[in-house]
Amino acid sequence: MFPQLLANALIAASIYGLVALGFGLIYSTTRFFHFAHGAIYTSAAYLGFLFAVWCGFRFPLAFTLAIGAASLLGVLIEIGVYRRLRRNNATSIVLLLSSLGVLIAAQNSLSLTFGDSSKSLHRGIAGEALQLWGARITSLQLTMIVVSFALWLLTWVLIRFTRLGRMIRAVGNDPELSRVVGVDADKVIVVVYAWGSGLAAAAAILAALDTDMTPMIGFNALLVGVVAAIVGGIGSIQGSLLGALLVGLAQHLGVWKLPTQWQDAIVFLTLLIFLLLRPQGFLGRPIRKAEV
Amino acid sequence: MDSFRCHELCKVFDGIHALAHVSTEIPSSGITAIIGPNGAGKTTLLNVLTGFLRPDSGRCFLGSREITHLAPHRIAQLGFARTFQDLRLILQVSVMDNVLLARPRQRGERLLSAILRFGVEREESQNREEAMRLLRFVGLDKMASHLAGELSYGQQKLLTLACCLATEARILLLDEPVSGVHPEMASQILRLLRQLRIDGKLVVFIEHEISAVREVADHVIVMDEGKVIAEGAPGDVLERPEILEAYLA
Amino acid sequence: MDYLLHILILVCIYSVLAVSLDLLAGHTGLLSMAHGAFYGLGAYTSALLALRLGSPFLVGTLLGMLVGALLSLVVSLPSLRLRGDYFVIATFGFQMIVWGVFNNWTEVTRGPLGIPGIPQPAVFGWVIKSHAGFMVLAALLAVLAHWVVGRITGSPFGRVLRAIREDELLAQSLGKNVFRFKVSAFAVSAALAAMAGSLYAHYVTFIDPTSFTVMESILVISMVIIGGAGSPWGPLIGTTMLVVLPEALRFLGFPSSVAANMRQIFYGVLLVVMMMGRPRGLVGRYGFSR
Repeated sequence: MFPQLLANALIAASIYGLVALGFGLIYSTTRFFHFAHGAIYTSAAYLGFLFAVWCGFRFPLAFTLAIGAASLLGVLIEIGVYRRLRRNNATSIVLLLSSLGVLIAAQNSLSLTFGDSSKSLHRGIAGEALQLWGARITSLQLTMIVVSFALWLLTWVLIRFTRLGRMIRAVGNDPELSRVVGVDADKVIVVVYAWGSGLAAAAAILAALDTDMTPMIGFNALLVGVVAAIVGGIGSIQGSLLGALLVGLAQHLGVWKLPTQWQDAIVFLTLLIFLLLRPQGFLGRPIRKAEV
Repeated sequence: MDSFRCHELCKVFDGIHALAHVSTEIPSSGITAIIGPNGAGKTTLLNVLTGFLRPDSGRCFLGSREITHLAPHRIAQLGFARTFQDLRLILQVSVMDNVLLARPRQRGERLLSAILRFGVEREESQNREEAMRLLRFVGLDKMASHLAGELSYGQQKLLTLACCLATEARILLLDEPVSGVHPEMASQILRLLRQLRIDGKLVVFIEHEISAVREVADHVIVMDEGKVIAEGAPGDVLERPEILEAYLA
Repeated sequence: MDYLLHILILVCIYSVLAVSLDLLAGHTGLLSMAHGAFYGLGAYTSALLALRLGSPFLVGTLLGMLVGALLSLVVSLPSLRLRGDYFVIATFGFQMIVWGVFNNWTEVTRGPLGIPGIPQPAVFGWVIKSHAGFMVLAALLAVLAHWVVGRITGSPFGRVLRAIREDELLAQSLGKNVFRFKVSAFAVSAALAAMAGSLYAHYVTFIDPTSFTVMESILVISMVIIGGAGSPWGPLIGTTMLVVLPEALRFLGFPSSVAANMRQIFYGVLLVVMMMGRPRGLVGRYGFSR
């Protein structure tokens, strides 16, 4: 039983982890909760459907286009909405509200275009089920875990070891100061939105290969991604992985023991516990309530 | 009369020792000044004393009661009022509303009373009278219905003083009450402080302008680099060469 | 005529949601995404009590309000000591979870099938059957909600809420227990949202989870923002705009599912435009700015 639980948790965590990673990256660089991230996720899944099913492109092309388009969408939101608000010294609540506006506008546009019934992207590509250390896992699901981890690793390398990564960290730590030393904060932020959205898009495509999509998937992904980011520690890359694992485990332990309606409550409970006891998450920086 | 003391307070920010084993006692009456160059830790000390910052170690006492880990609003309720270096006021509401906000133990601040309003109107008009009296005391009565944001900097400083007095706190902790105002206003504020001493209030103020300190302080505490380097009567302390050096360094 | 009354009844119900959210967001500065959940909690509690226990409308409504207020503590106690952003996330989580319970706890709520046959309300022996009768009830409750919120915001309690909104540290330094004020404001807003839910349930006589989603929460936020936060008339104006204008879409002949999506796209875009140009909304006093 337990190995299966662990396997399921790992599969779920691979999706959440990417969403959390993207969300956390955007948050640590721009200091507000970009709720429209959920819309990016949903858009990517539906764009994948558009290219692969409606246009009939082969999967690799369709998915590349979908991820590219979703990343572009993230960038457009930044340039068209957030940047202009930041220029006017908008507070993080104003940004958050605009993010919500974008979220519902995008969400409903997808509903309008594709309808509300569930769509499927995974016609029979699950692959054979393998038996690994007592758990049953399909080759597709294994791929999901591997791809997800690879993307996580790539992000880690990018942030830790490249010049771009240093610039991203500089902007996140102190935008004013980074401007003084010559970093073009606006360009860096665009890159962050592109990368973060790309990660969410990848997660959405991977998930869509496994389960059906509805216009509401973005909200669920957003919720779990945000909780995972907070639990692991907003702003920490390792943290997002840890947080995703923990939330995935908690959720699947819940599936095991609890009736269906309470499963999501586990995610929420995890969030509440962390907010109460350790709001900075496992690996995050301590949160300063307010500056005196 | 309760004395106000702290013992071995330490606070480190990003590797800087803002407070390093600060132990001092503030006399229970009269005007005490805390002085020191910028970065000496004066405001940090004030923030720790009023509960806005947790010290890494050390304790604070009001009389025999430990107040180290109390929430700021609890400390305020014990009879402390403070101002802030960056002059916190509600700029979008009137001068009168700012002072009314500061009035303590308002029945109308309880949810049920707010809805049902038993006795709230009467208490409110009493508070208004008291607020006007305080505004007259600081010389702002003519500005009562103006928005706080419309006042000049000096007038805003007077307003923060009025708000402190409105809380009926016995202990007033003022962060740089005369800095940045023109000399006339500064004199007016110092005159008010002297009057408050006569009225029995305990005033503690942070300043880095020594002239203000010479004029009104009964007791001086000098800080530098997170430590208390001297304390005593101003005539005494302020003549010492090492103090003057700390300022020039 | 009945159609006109229907619109007015919806305006009354939504205005209760809007004014209660304004107490929290406009006056205290706390943005909540859980209003849809409290709306639903009021609806389901009242509906289930009426159907399973035959309890009268007022009792069901009061108990729904109590449920809303108590459950608000689940969100507020852990999160209100942290920054406002975290509170928003906690309310988002709560909204999603509660919706999940509505949708999955089929033994109690019948899940996506919804609860049909909710009895018409009877108030002190007067059974309300007609649209006109309902209009009176809805208007009375809307006036009550606006009155309660108005009393609170016009009192010293309201003064402290606005101080908390502008400068929490200042409020603390003046001896105000900021946490208590925030928790209370949230509980009141949750209870009023639940009241609207109960009214809604007994009006439409059939409820299902689709009326209480996170989209609904964002809709109420839009109403408050567009009308104008922190003002007595703002929520009502925003509600009227956002209930009446989209009905025009239906007159233009769009099928209702398309109209529903277009309406929400309209809200979303308007929300963004407002934030960029006029965060105070039409008549608001607070623009969420520092």
